[in-house]
Amino acid sequence: MSMKEFVTSIPVNKVGLKDLLGFEKSPANIFLAFLTISLLGMFATGVAIYLMDGHHAYNVTREHPWGLLLAAYIFFVVSSTGLCIIGSLGDVFGFKDYELISKRAIFGSIVTIVSGFAVIIFEIGHPITMVVYNVLTPGLTSAIWWMGTLYGLYLTFMIIEFVFLLKGNMKLARYFGLPGLAIGLAAHSNLGAVFGFLNARPISNGVYFPMYFILTAFITGVFIAFIFMGFRYKLKFPQSVKTMLTSLGKIQLFLLLFLAFFMTWKFLTDIYGGVPDRADVAIHILSSWTFWAEVILVIALPLFVLLKDIGRSHVAIFYTSLSGMIGIAFMRYNLIHDTQLKPLQMLKTSEYQLAPTWIHYVPSMTEWMISLGGIGLCMALYYLGTKLFNLDADTYHPA
Amino acid sequence: MARYGMALDYKNCINCKACESACKEENGILLGADKHRIWVGVKEVEGEFPLLSIASSGFVPSQCQHCDDAPCQEVCPTNATYYDENGVVRVNVEQCILCTYCMNACPYDARYVDDRTMTVDKCNFCSDTRLSRGEVTTACQNTCPTKVRTFGDLDDPDSEISILLRARDHYTLKSHLGTKPKLYYLT
Repeated sequence: MSMKEFVTSIPVNKVGLKDLLGFEKSPANIFLAFLTISLLGMFATGVAIYLMDGHHAYNVTREHPWGLLLAAYIFFVVSSTGLCIIGSLGDVFGFKDYELISKRAIFGSIVTIVSGFAVIIFEIGHPITMVVYNVLTPGLTSAIWWMGTLYGLYLTFMIIEFVFLLKGNMKLARYFGLPGLAIGLAAHSNLGAVFGFLNARPISNGVYFPMYFILTAFITGVFIAFIFMGFRYKLKFPQSVKTMLTSLGKIQLFLLLFLAFFMTWKFLTDIYGGVPDRADVAIHILSSWTFWAEVILVIALPLFVLLKDIGRSHVAIFYTSLSGMIGIAFMRYNLIHDTQLKPLQMLKTSEYQLAPTWIHYVPSMTEWMISLGGIGLCMALYYLGTKLFNLDADTYHPA
Repeated sequence: MARYGMALDYKNCINCKACESACKEENGILLGADKHRIWVGVKEVEGEFPLLSIASSGFVPSQCQHCDDAPCQEVCPTNATYYDENGVVRVNVEQCILCTYCMNACPYDARYVDDRTMTVDKCNFCSDTRLSRGEVTTACQNTCPTKVRTFGDLDDPDSEISILLRARDHYTLKSHLGTKPKLYYLT
C-alpha cells in the first residue's frame, strides 16, 4: 500500500461549516460555543500583544522568570500524559472495559499536547532557534532538552497510534501505543526533573517531582475521562460506560489517597526536616490560599464524593472532575510559583543586599489571555475531532 | 589556556560602585539593569541604638561565580551556556532560546535577560571586550580604587591571584552546593 493510499484510507468524516454549527442549540451548548470562541479570541489577542511587545508583555522578572504560561504548558502536557495512560489501559494493556474510551483519550492526548505546545512557543523567547539548536547542539544534561525532545517523539507516536485506532488495526495501535506511553512517561518525569534538578531551589530539588508528576498525570487523566464521557453521553451513561466509570472512580480513589499521602509526607519532611530554605518555604506555602484551593478541589471534594459510594455516583464525580481540573490548574501554578518563592540572594542573608522577603508575582493580562486561550484551543480542536472522527469504540454501539 | 578566577578582598570595599559603572561602560550594559551583571551587597548594621554592631556592617561585591561545575551550564538545553578555553562560563547568544532555565538554576542570581539581544546574559570576565583585546584585567578590577579585586590565572602558580590565595584565608559562596565557584572571598 502506497503512502497516499494509506492516508486516504484513514476514516475521516467530511465536515463543512454547516456541520460544525449544527450542534443542538441547548443553553449549555450555546454557552460552550460562546466560551470557546471567546477563549480563542483571547488567545489571538494575547498573541498579538506578545508579538508587539515581546516578553515585556509578561509580568515575569529576573527573580521570577517562569510565569503563568509555563504553568499552562505543564497543565496541558500533564493532561496529555494522563489521557495517554487512560487510553493505553484499553488499547495497549487490553483491559476490555476501557477500550470504549481509548480512541477518545488518545485523541485528547494529542489535542492537549498541541495546545501545550501552542502556549509554550510564546513563553520560549526564540522557538525557532530552539528547534535548530535542539538538534545541532543538544544539551544532554538538561532536563528541558530531554523533556522537549521526548514530547516531540511522544506526539508522533500518539498520532500514529490514533491513526491505527481509527483504521481499527488494534495490533499496530498497540505496537505504537506501548512505546508512545513509555516515551510519554519518560518525557513527563523529565518535566518533573526540570524542577527536581534545581539545587538552587531546595523546595523543589529531589526525586519528589518526577514521581509526583506521573501520579498527578494519572489523576488528571481520570478527571478528563469523566468529563469526556459526561459530555459524550450528556450524563445519561449506558451500562458499559457506567461499568468503566465505576472502575475509573475506584482507581481515582486510590490515586487521590496516594497523592494525599505523598503531599502530607512532602510537607512533613520539608517542615520538620529542617533543611534551610526548604522548611520556611513549605510553611509559607501552607499560608497561601492557592495551595488550599488545590487541596480542596483536587483532593478533598473528589475524595468526599468517591468515598460516599466508592465511585458509583458518576454524575457527581463528573462535576467534581470539572472542579478538579480547576484545582489541577492551581496545582500547576503553585508548582511554578512556589519553586521561585525564595529570593536567591537571600540564601546568605548577611552577604546580600535584599531584605528577606518573598518573591511576588501576578500574571499580566497577556499571560492570562494566552493561557486561558490555550483552553479554548483545546476545546475547539476537541470539538473538531468529534466531528471529523468516530471517537467511540468501533465495536461499541450505545443503547 | 588559562583558568581564570577572581579574589575579592571584600573588606576593602567602600561601595563606591565604580565597578558597576565600569562594567556597564565596558560591556555596553543598558541603563536600568542595576545589580544584574555585577553588584555590591550591603550588610546592614545590626542591633538597636546604642547597641549597634559596627562589625556587622560591610559591603560584599559579587557577580557570576564562574563555577567549575556550573548548574546554569548543565541545565542549558542547547548548550548556549558553555565553558570557554579559559574556564569562563559564557553565553552564545546565537544559541540561547530564552527558556530562562539557567536563571532559575543559578544559585547566585547572576543571570539576567539582556534587552539588547533578548537572551540571557551574565558576567564573562570581560572576555568579549578587554580580554579579547589582549588586556589582562577586567573592567571592575581595573577601576576599583581600593584594589578589592585580583583577577588572574588560577593554574599559574606565579600569578598574583594564586599567590594571594596561598597566602590568605578565603571562602566561596554556597560551597555546600558543590558548584566549585571561582570567586574567592579573602578573609
